[in-house]
Amino acid sequence: MTDTMAAENIARQLNEQAPGSAVSLQMNVDSYLDVLRGVLDVYANKRDMDTIYVTATISFEAIKRVMQALDIDTSRVYFVDCISHIMMGTAAAQKDEHASLVESPTMLENIMLKVEYLMRRSQSKEKLVVIDSINSLAIHNNNWILSEFLHILVSGLRAKEAYTVILTVEEHTTPEISNMVNLVCDQGIRAAKGE
Amino acid sequence: MPPRTGDRDRCVTGIDGLDTILYGGIPRDNTVLLTGSCGTGKTSLALEYLIHGAVAGENSLFISVTEDSEKLLANIIPYKFFDRDLIKSGKLVFVDLPAMYERLGMTKSELTMEEIDLLVAAIGNLVKELGVKRLVMDSITSVCYKLKTPEKIRDFILKMGKILSDLGCTSVLVSEVAATSTGYSTFGVEEAISDGIVLMANMERRGDLLRTLQVIKMRGTMHSRAKYVLDLTPVGVLLVPLLKGGSAGT
Repeated sequence: MTDTMAAENIARQLNEQAPGSAVSLQMNVDSYLDVLRGVLDVYANKRDMDTIYVTATISFEAIKRVMQALDIDTSRVYFVDCISHIMMGTAAAQKDEHASLVESPTMLENIMLKVEYLMRRSQSKEKLVVIDSINSLAIHNNNWILSEFLHILVSGLRAKEAYTVILTVEEHTTPEISNMVNLVCDQGIRAAKGE
Repeated sequence: MPPRTGDRDRCVTGIDGLDTILYGGIPRDNTVLLTGSCGTGKTSLALEYLIHGAVAGENSLFISVTEDSEKLLANIIPYKFFDRDLIKSGKLVFVDLPAMYERLGMTKSELTMEEIDLLVAAIGNLVKELGVKRLVMDSITSVCYKLKTPEKIRDFILKMGKILSDLGCTSVLVSEVAATSTGYSTFGVEEAISDGIVLMANMERRGDLLRTLQVIKMRGTMHSRAKYVLDLTPVGVLLVPLLKGGSAGT
C-alpha cells in the first residue's frame, strides 16, 4: 500500500534534523500514505517520540483509521482535531483520550493552546508536532494570521526543542503559502510520487 | 535601563503565562482586581492561584460570597496538581461569607459603617490566625451589593487592602462586570483603588468566542499590556498571544 523506500527516505531526512528543527514536507496527494508511514512509523515511533498531530484536513478518526490500516502504532499519537467540531462529529473525539478538539480551524490560538497542553502532558523526551496541512488551514484563514500563527507556534516549539513537520500539498500550494512556510522552516523535504 | 521588575518581592502565581506577563509574579502584598463577565474563567484562575500557593507551602484562603464552597469544589477542574489533602492539612481553606455574616449578626441587606469595620476586622483576624499569604474573595461585587454607596465600597476595599497588605497577604478580589461594560468594575470604585487589574473577557472574532486575559495595571512592576488567549486545562491556565492578524476589521 505504501512505498517503503519513499517512507524510509522521508524518515532518513527527518533523522538528520537537529532538535528544535522545523521541516516543510511537500507532498502530492498520492504520496500522503508514504508521508504518514515515513513520519509517524519509521521516524517518530522508532525514536520513541510522542507525536502531536494537528489535523485540519480530515477528522482524527479518519486519519487514525488510515494509520491503523497501515499498521502504524497510534498509541503515542495525540490528535488536535480542528475539523470534527465544525462537521458536528465530536462524539468519538469526546471519548478518545488521544484527541483534543478545536472548535474551528479559524481558532488558531486554541490550536496553539492544545499543542501546548499536550506538550506539557507528554512524558517523552523527544516530541514531534505535525501540522496537516498548511493548505487546509489556509482555506479558513488569511495569510497574515496564518503566517503569524506559524511564526509563534514554531518559535515556541523550537524553544522546547520539539520537532515540527508542516505538511504542504503541492497541488494546492500558492507562492504565498510556500513563502510563509519557508520563512519558519529550516529545511524542505519533497515526497512526491510519479516523477 | 530602568529595572523591569523593581525591588518588590514577588508572589509567584504558578500560572506560567501570567507570571511571564508580570515579569515574575504579583508584587507581594498587592490587592488585585480580577475582573470580567461570566464564563471568562475568573474563579478557575483565582483557584489555581491559591492551589499553587498552597502546594508551595503558603497558607491560602478562598472566601466564597456567592457560591457554596462544596459546590465550588465539586465543579473544580480536575487539576493534576490539586490534592484534597491541601484542604485537610489546612493549607487551603474555604470560608463562606454568608456564614460569616450570620455569625457576625449582619442580617440586614445593607451594612453600616460599623459593620464594615467589623467585617474587615473579622477577615483580618482570620488571615492572621491562619497565617494566610494568599487570599481570594469571590466576588467583591457581591459584597459591594451589601454596601450600596460608593463611599462604603471605597471604605471597605481600602480597609481590606490595608489590613491584608499589612499582614503580608497578596489578595485577588474577583469582580463581575456585564459583558457590555466598558469599565473594569460594577461600581466604578473597585478598579480605582486596587493595586492591579487583570481583565478576563470573551472576545468574538468571526463567530468564534475566545477567552482572553489582559493585565491593565499592576503597581510595583512593569508588565505586558497585550491581550492573551487562554484555555482552562487540567495542567492549569495556559496562555498564548492573541494573533493580531485576526483583529483587523473587528
